[in-house]
Amino acid sequence: MSLIVDVLSGGVRGGTSIMYGALGETVSERAGVINLGTEGSMLMGALGGYIVCVETGSPWLGALAGALAGAALSLLHAYLVVWRGASQFASGLTLLFLALGLTSLFGATYVGKPVDGFSRWDVPLLSDIPVIGTVLFQQDPLVYLSFAVVPFIWWLLFKTRAGLLIRTAGERSESLTVHGYSVKAVRAGAVTAGGFLAGIGGAHLSIAYANAWFENMVSGRGFIAVALVIFAVWSPIRVMGGAYLFGMALALGSALQARGYNVNQFALDAIPFVLTLAVLALLGKKTVSSSPAELKKVFENAPPT
Amino acid sequence: MSATLLTPESPEVAEPEEAKPDRLRPILATVWRWTSALGVALIIFSILLLTKGANPFQALGDMFKLTFTSSRSVQEIFIQMAPLVLGALAVAVPARAGLTNVGGEGQIIIGAVAACGAFLFLGDSAPGGLIIVAMFAASMIAGALWAGIAALMRLWAGVNEAISTLLLNFVALDILLFLIYQPWRESRTGQPTTRELVDTAKLPVISGTQVHIGIIIAVVVTVIVWAVMRYTRWGFKIAVAGGNAEAARRSGLNVSMLVLSALMIGGALAGLAGMIHFAGVEYKLRPGFGYQLGYTSFLACWLARHQPFPILVAAFVFASLSVAGDSLQLDSSLPAATINVLTALILMAVLGWTAKRKVSV
Amino acid sequence: MEQHVGPRRPLLAVLGLTKHFAAVKANTEVSLEVWPGEVHALVGENGAGKSTLLKMIYGVYHPDAGQMIVEGTEAVIDSPAEARRLGIGMVFQDLRLVPALTVAENIALAIPTGVTLKLRALSQQIREASDKHGLSVDPNAKVGHLSIGERQRVEILKVLMTGAKLVILDEPTSVLAPQEVEALFSVVEHLRSQDFGILIVTHKLDEVRTIANTATVLRGGRTILENVKPSDYTNDELIEAMVGKSVSDLTRRASTVVTTDRAMALTMTGINAKGDQGNLALKGISLTIAPGELVGIAGVAGSGQRELCEVALGLRPPVTGEVTIVGKKIGNPRDALSAGAASIPEDPVADSIVGRLTVLHHMVLNGRRLPAGKVGIDWQTVKSTTDTNNDRLGLHIAATSRNVSELSGGNIQRVILTRELSLDAELVVAAYPSRGLDIANVRRTQEILLECRDKGAGVLMVSEDLDELMSIADRILVMHDGHISGEIINADFDRQRIGQLMIGGAA
Repeated sequence: MSLIVDVLSGGVRGGTSIMYGALGETVSERAGVINLGTEGSMLMGALGGYIVCVETGSPWLGALAGALAGAALSLLHAYLVVWRGASQFASGLTLLFLALGLTSLFGATYVGKPVDGFSRWDVPLLSDIPVIGTVLFQQDPLVYLSFAVVPFIWWLLFKTRAGLLIRTAGERSESLTVHGYSVKAVRAGAVTAGGFLAGIGGAHLSIAYANAWFENMVSGRGFIAVALVIFAVWSPIRVMGGAYLFGMALALGSALQARGYNVNQFALDAIPFVLTLAVLALLGKKTVSSSPAELKKVFENAPPT
Repeated sequence: MSATLLTPESPEVAEPEEAKPDRLRPILATVWRWTSALGVALIIFSILLLTKGANPFQALGDMFKLTFTSSRSVQEIFIQMAPLVLGALAVAVPARAGLTNVGGEGQIIIGAVAACGAFLFLGDSAPGGLIIVAMFAASMIAGALWAGIAALMRLWAGVNEAISTLLLNFVALDILLFLIYQPWRESRTGQPTTRELVDTAKLPVISGTQVHIGIIIAVVVTVIVWAVMRYTRWGFKIAVAGGNAEAARRSGLNVSMLVLSALMIGGALAGLAGMIHFAGVEYKLRPGFGYQLGYTSFLACWLARHQPFPILVAAFVFASLSVAGDSLQLDSSLPAATINVLTALILMAVLGWTAKRKVSV
Repeated sequence: MEQHVGPRRPLLAVLGLTKHFAAVKANTEVSLEVWPGEVHALVGENGAGKSTLLKMIYGVYHPDAGQMIVEGTEAVIDSPAEARRLGIGMVFQDLRLVPALTVAENIALAIPTGVTLKLRALSQQIREASDKHGLSVDPNAKVGHLSIGERQRVEILKVLMTGAKLVILDEPTSVLAPQEVEALFSVVEHLRSQDFGILIVTHKLDEVRTIANTATVLRGGRTILENVKPSDYTNDELIEAMVGKSVSDLTRRASTVVTTDRAMALTMTGINAKGDQGNLALKGISLTIAPGELVGIAGVAGSGQRELCEVALGLRPPVTGEVTIVGKKIGNPRDALSAGAASIPEDPVADSIVGRLTVLHHMVLNGRRLPAGKVGIDWQTVKSTTDTNNDRLGLHIAATSRNVSELSGGNIQRVILTRELSLDAELVVAAYPSRGLDIANVRRTQEILLECRDKGAGVLMVSEDLDELMSIADRILVMHDGHISGEIINADFDRQRIGQLMIGGAA
């Protein structure tokens, strides 16, 4: 029983940073732009959040700084792909390199510095509920924030004008033009907002989850986020479930090891990726057919040679 | 490939976009765009160095000096260049068929794992030549099969290969880590690595240098890839399939086979890159083996606009930057990864300001 | 309209509009007026300048000269937004709706509702508006699930809800089935009775007669007839206004090929096949084409012609039924090509053109064996064969070293025609072969198709031009809604009867 609770609770804790990244990627892809730089935005968010948290002592300011750092990097992606017509894949990876370089340049002096990040805060009453309370309500504030962010993103995408414009940009951009909106502005806004969310995810990693900064600490979570969005068929609600699933796969290894089971951590680490590949292979055609039409074009477009 | 391939029998036809008299002006414009783009990248990088208290002129000057004037680091450039060239060709060949291979990272690792496995299987006492041949074969086959997974997922389930190759990178890394932490680990104490490759099976160096023959292999493979893409039926067919799959289908081409073969050949080239890095530089597998080689190759390929010979130049540039990163670390005590900033700035400049066409949204 | 009192003025008056592009005089001094309560037909052949005129009215293009007067005031319409503000609404031919969104969401794109979409209130408004204008529309339906006719109603409703007084319909019937055309016309009639002005673009004379009070005929970018009553003119007069002096007919000649004891060029037996949307696009089609026979396929666009061609060529696997070409069973495109099929696709730019390759490269994309050189492909031989074929066919293709992405639609069509029609094919499947060609090349293409037939090929030719079919086909099959609704042989060709069959009427 305690193993299950540990895994579930660890899944929520560890899945939250991925979830922020994937929510950001959802917004971006709904507008028709895939952003492999999500990994980079999370890195920027992790370092930005860490620096500000260390310097000001406020984790909330840290989270905000992380978000802004993530948004800044994504704004560059938006500029390159929306205005300059660069390949979305190449631009995303380039920005990952930029983030790797910037964070190691500016983060070197912060490696090993102590930080007073978000600490666990048990929600009164709710946290006493057996299992559910432990899993959901004995967490850090950024986890609670994500409980609000998920429905907010859903509402934003499906109930507001901004969301309608984002979805139209991703489904049939010329319809935006016909109605006098700028496709470029809508896409740039969505991509930047996506980076903002990914930045929070990165900050969650450095000032709530690990309470440390080290080079390349995101280590693939941003890429998982990109894959997760497809896995979740571009729905914020499903992104939440998927992120927890990934978090649990990550938590399972340490939970088992803590109990003296001899498990191979790397086999467990591979589970989320293999799982995603398997799900994509099984859902493949169905998923692809329900993807935003403009995004489909990005995937189908041959790289220029 | 025989020399007849290279004789200009039919190139006017193969490349009908021959020079026109008014071509000078666009060339000058291109040169101007590239120089200004690169200049801006350097300026931004200098400003960043300034904010870290380093004197950019001195840092860049020292970096340049340390990188290009010492024979050791020039040799290091050629050593690092070899897997980058092959890794970039591994992107270029599938790109010709309209595929985005972001899986170089994993294919390189799998190639090295297969090479190492071939060595471990044959054992130290096997003749070095046999081990080398076995490593070549194993790495290319393994890389091809690894990429083939992504190709099959695309053909059967419509999963985009950019996504699947990207995910397979992480799986490959976990396979590598699993092997070096458990079954292939040399000693239970010490660093988690595999046994070192026997001397007889290490790639020989070019006489008078410390550069192993990987760079020669890379250049030869570049020429072969260029010739295959330019002159063979297969090269023509993948260009058709990559340009318009429906047109290819309507003209009776087997698009599935072309997609599969192009991506698998890409994987084989990346696998070869992994083998060369293993048998020429590292000699053992360790946790950080080939870190970022694949992604750097992907970007080198974009820098070269997916053309074989420019890939040699792009790989040289990136290898130089990587060596420069090390000298930057030694000289200005900045982290070696700082150089990634310059790499990224150069690419951003190239992607954003030298593009042939712009979007029409 | 006489019952109205008070000052009446046109919703829109266009006076002497001129728009020239580099070499093309798209519009020269074009004028027309649209009044409230009037259906005004803008008539002309493809390329007559209709779309240029519409784009100027809708603010997409800016005229070089001339004026536009909206309800008595001179207006500078410099953007679609300005056009909408002035009460001009446009229903595009290709409909600009977003298939993945609901009707209400699509309409919300056009109507300001504040930060949130207030979909419930908007749905209510949509229902009210749709009742008022006689357009039945479900606000919560996903547009992707609607038929073309329904989508058109959504577009019209959207235009009305944004306050349009003048509704422009750009070739609305070209994408509709006959029943849908009737439904559309009753909507148009209803709008007229409510004093809207309607400008409807068409090139079908019967539609002009059915629905329009007024017509303007464009030809070569000039107004030939301006604001006239269609009932004052005979069909022949209107046709002459549209096409100018009628061009002399191709001399029709019957097929002379002896077809006994030769395998049929094409047989299709009991074919059912799905369309791209998963609908059943071909329903129980059986047909044969003999060697040396040219069979024309007539029908309203979208009746299954494209699917028919694709099934014949092995490009679209049928759900049931069998296809053979000269006796060989066809399962995939390679089967068809190796049995000797040649084809002119309906949309060559999408289906036959590889942007970064040259004209010469395209000459080998015909499914035949690539000519072998010492290494790879012998491009010299390809070049000389191409030159020979080009001289023989006389369609004057662009230089073989040109990149196809630089070529115009007509030039691309000639490249494909030259490539496919110079094969010694057993079966030629030609979809709209003369699309995008000028009159001389249209004639030449028809000649070449007849030559193919006379050399013993079976020819399946799809065309939207009945006159073209009647002038060269040995037999015409009429398609309607995925069926073959009738078959008429050469001696009995009769426009009226074919027209009846096209809309599904009894033969």
